[in-house]
Amino acid sequence: MEARRAHFSAPDFYNVETERMTLPTIARRLLAAQQHDAEREEVLSGMGEEYVMRRRRDGSLKARLWLWRQVLGSLPATVGRVWFRGTTGFESEANRMNGKGLGLESWIQDMRFALRSLRSRPLYVVLSVMTLALGIGGATAVFGIARAVLLEPLPYRTSDELVLFWNMFDWSEAEVNFLRPEWTGFAGVAAYRPEGVYLQQDGRPARQVPGIASSAELFDVLGVRPMLGSGFSPADDAPGAEPVAVLGYGLWQELGADRSIVGKSIDLDGGTRRVVGVMPEGFWFPDPSVRVWLSTPMRPNNRSGNYALVGRMEAGRTVESMRDPLQRITTRMGEQFTYPPQWDKTKNAQLTPVKEFLHGPVRPALLATLGAMGVILLMACANVATLMLGQLRGRSSELAVRIALGAGSGRLTRQLLVESIVLGLIAGAVGAFAAAMGFRLLLAALPLGELASTVTFNWTLFLVAMLIAFVAALLIALVPVLSLLHGDLRDALSRARTSGIGAKGRMEEALVIGEVALAVLLAAGAGVLIRSVANLQAFDSGIQANGVAVLDISTSGGTPEQRAQQLTQLVESLTTLPEVDAAAAIQLLPLRASGWNFGLAIEGRPELEQTTTRFRLVTHDYFRAMGIPVLRGRVFDARDAANSEQVIVIDQSLAEKYFPNEDPIDRRIATQTGWARIIGVVGAVAYGGLNPEERVPGRYMLFEQEPIVPDDNSIVVLVKDGRSPAQLLPLLARRIQQTAPTVALREMTTMQHEVATAMGPTLRIMQLMTLLGGLALLLGAIGVYGVVSHFVNRRRRDYVIRLALGMKPIAAIRQVLGRGTALVGIGCLIGILAALLLTRTLASLLYEIDATDPLALGLAIVTLIAAGCVAALIPGIRASRANPAQVLRENA
Amino acid sequence: MNKHAPLGTFEEQVLLAIVRTAGDAFGMNVRREIETVTGRDVAIGAVYATLDRLEAKKLVRSFRSSDRKLFEITRSGIDALAETKAMRERLWRGVNVLRLLESS
Repeated sequence: MEARRAHFSAPDFYNVETERMTLPTIARRLLAAQQHDAEREEVLSGMGEEYVMRRRRDGSLKARLWLWRQVLGSLPATVGRVWFRGTTGFESEANRMNGKGLGLESWIQDMRFALRSLRSRPLYVVLSVMTLALGIGGATAVFGIARAVLLEPLPYRTSDELVLFWNMFDWSEAEVNFLRPEWTGFAGVAAYRPEGVYLQQDGRPARQVPGIASSAELFDVLGVRPMLGSGFSPADDAPGAEPVAVLGYGLWQELGADRSIVGKSIDLDGGTRRVVGVMPEGFWFPDPSVRVWLSTPMRPNNRSGNYALVGRMEAGRTVESMRDPLQRITTRMGEQFTYPPQWDKTKNAQLTPVKEFLHGPVRPALLATLGAMGVILLMACANVATLMLGQLRGRSSELAVRIALGAGSGRLTRQLLVESIVLGLIAGAVGAFAAAMGFRLLLAALPLGELASTVTFNWTLFLVAMLIAFVAALLIALVPVLSLLHGDLRDALSRARTSGIGAKGRMEEALVIGEVALAVLLAAGAGVLIRSVANLQAFDSGIQANGVAVLDISTSGGTPEQRAQQLTQLVESLTTLPEVDAAAAIQLLPLRASGWNFGLAIEGRPELEQTTTRFRLVTHDYFRAMGIPVLRGRVFDARDAANSEQVIVIDQSLAEKYFPNEDPIDRRIATQTGWARIIGVVGAVAYGGLNPEERVPGRYMLFEQEPIVPDDNSIVVLVKDGRSPAQLLPLLARRIQQTAPTVALREMTTMQHEVATAMGPTLRIMQLMTLLGGLALLLGAIGVYGVVSHFVNRRRRDYVIRLALGMKPIAAIRQVLGRGTALVGIGCLIGILAALLLTRTLASLLYEIDATDPLALGLAIVTLIAAGCVAALIPGIRASRANPAQVLRENA
Repeated sequence: MNKHAPLGTFEEQVLLAIVRTAGDAFGMNVRREIETVTGRDVAIGAVYATLDRLEAKKLVRSFRSSDRKLFEITRSGIDALAETKAMRERLWRGVNVLRLLESS
């Protein structure tokens, strides 16, 4: 049986003609938007009639509900219809005379057309996609890293309120205790200092864990609660309190992720510490390498200063508004403590926001890389745009026919846009993949230090890549579209079958000039960095890094004599290896840090103020192992032992400064236990880093003649000629473990690597910038080649006629070359101006060189002009060798 | 056998509605016919999308008459309907709904 529910007779519908426009506006518009041009009127009128009928019969509400069910219920089917028509190109027989279809349909058709047309030009597609993908991938990866480092919030509550105090690691427990009752202007202040500890776990060899010893306020100041247990309680830093520890998430995981660990004890530094809490994942302070936080007694009378202070300003305060509170604090300090003039902490009070302290050193490097990647991306866009323009000119006959058949600028524009979006999206996908692959490499290449460990690849970067790709596609399409709208291209196309002459290609030229300018900018940046690194390399650190292996070791427990003995034993055992030339121990490797500074008192020179000089403890063969020359006297030998006369070796800087016109040999210098006789003078060494300021006066003593022997020392091993120190490291490590199983190996490296580390961010950024500069050069050269080559192609007919009329081939080459170099020349000029303005951002990375170094700029320009000439020469030679008969036949 | 894939339920309904409203088979009318007969709401968009597909398969033909786009069934359309009906009857053969109802 048929269920007849609605009862409309035909006359009902035709009598409501006057009311058909009564469809509610929004519904009518939505409905109209879903209809084919040829069907719109009919559908709207039909729907209007039925709506009116329903309103009369069922009331307004029910009629509206029906209408909206129609509007929304039609949507999925309409989308399917658009897709069907777009992909099959179907058009209904009755609509043939009005075939505009639905709005989106022609976009789908354009996309199909673009895909078909791209399929027939695989070389063009591969070139464009690879060029763009390079730019997109690079920009995405650097953006991902920069976002993670600079934009992600620090793992502390309202980190904008956190500041570090001036004179870092120079605050004493006495000062902290005195100031503690009243930190004016601060919600809280905590003192902390680095403290590496040895973790002994289930009979495994002891290993060093980077830690922080801090006052009880630390976690309150940072505003972070542990995920298990608690932070430190106020009594934890009282003298005599039980030592407690808060574990980092990573260390907790390594210890078995036992949730009941709170309250248990762990074996640290040969003693036990009760675990009171575990910090949540992602928390770190003051850098991500720290894995455990330890309570430490804050003794009111301890004046040795090695703490840094971190404070939380009262809510609403800024660093600028802290002047008065700081004034109050320094006044109180001045009243309680006396400071020598050169160490007066009350004079230079200054707060540094934690964010600035953490990001400050990496920001210039990251921004410079991001800028460089942006430049590469722009150049890639320009190259693809010129490629596209060239392609359009190549397809001039096809386009001319389409214009003749009535395709308007709008339709052509849309086709260009769709084509470039298709290219862009393919490149975006490839680029995102490249970014994912290259992310770790880039992360390792950037000088981020410990912050690098907080950066992980985030899949939202795929979205970023696609967004960049989309914007790039729009930029690319802009060039041919503008060219089309300005009539430049259109004119050329309409004359396509005649000669092709007349297309001036100004847009392409402007693009290539822009590209050259960008390449100059990057090359200049790279040049300045290369020169800076060369300066660093030329700086004489005073040591011979070649062939030296470095093993950082730690001994725990024992008396200083026992530790000194163990070091001598280790060194002797290493020396017996056939691969080893010399081995020695030193308490702090050169280039790493300033380290111990002791006042210097010289016998018979009471007028001399006790000046600070660098101080190093070594074993006998140290100077030979490190290639430090002996300038006068002798260095340590078998005569010098624990119970023999105390002797000392000074370096050239010390000799020049304190014994300017006299022989320092046999003079005596005060030590902690008496007087040491100077036995020799050795070459000066850069102690704290590759910096002439670090070649300060320094002196050396034997471990066995000093009452203090630290736990952490380094062993340097000079390997025999032709051996690689890096390859011998495992062998050396085994020998150390065999000789002294209780000694923990912290790190194994080479002195070469130490020198590279000392060059710091500049070296790494230089390597990256050189790579990017090279890439920019290549892209610039390809751009010049592309444009000059199109120019030649367009004027081939011109050239063959001239050649046939007697023009010398060399003149043709000269003309083409001249055009290429003119473009490069203008680009260079603009590039120089930009470089003068922008390379200043690199200033903080540079060493003994001006950001606008003329040599670096000059080199960049010469390289670019050379590359431009080669790029222009190829089409030039092609122009001079064109076969007149063939060219004229082609253009007939 | 029909060279086309068998008709979908909605395609079959649209084709039958065209036959039933022969001579006046425009989109809105086809929709109303299905709605009237089946008693269910039918979205106008779904009708036009199906009409496109049927025309692309050459099962219906479209033409213009007095500002309306009308449809008529083609020979292939008739074949497809016949084939669909036959297939359905083959499927029903041996199925006794009354007995099923009694036994459930």
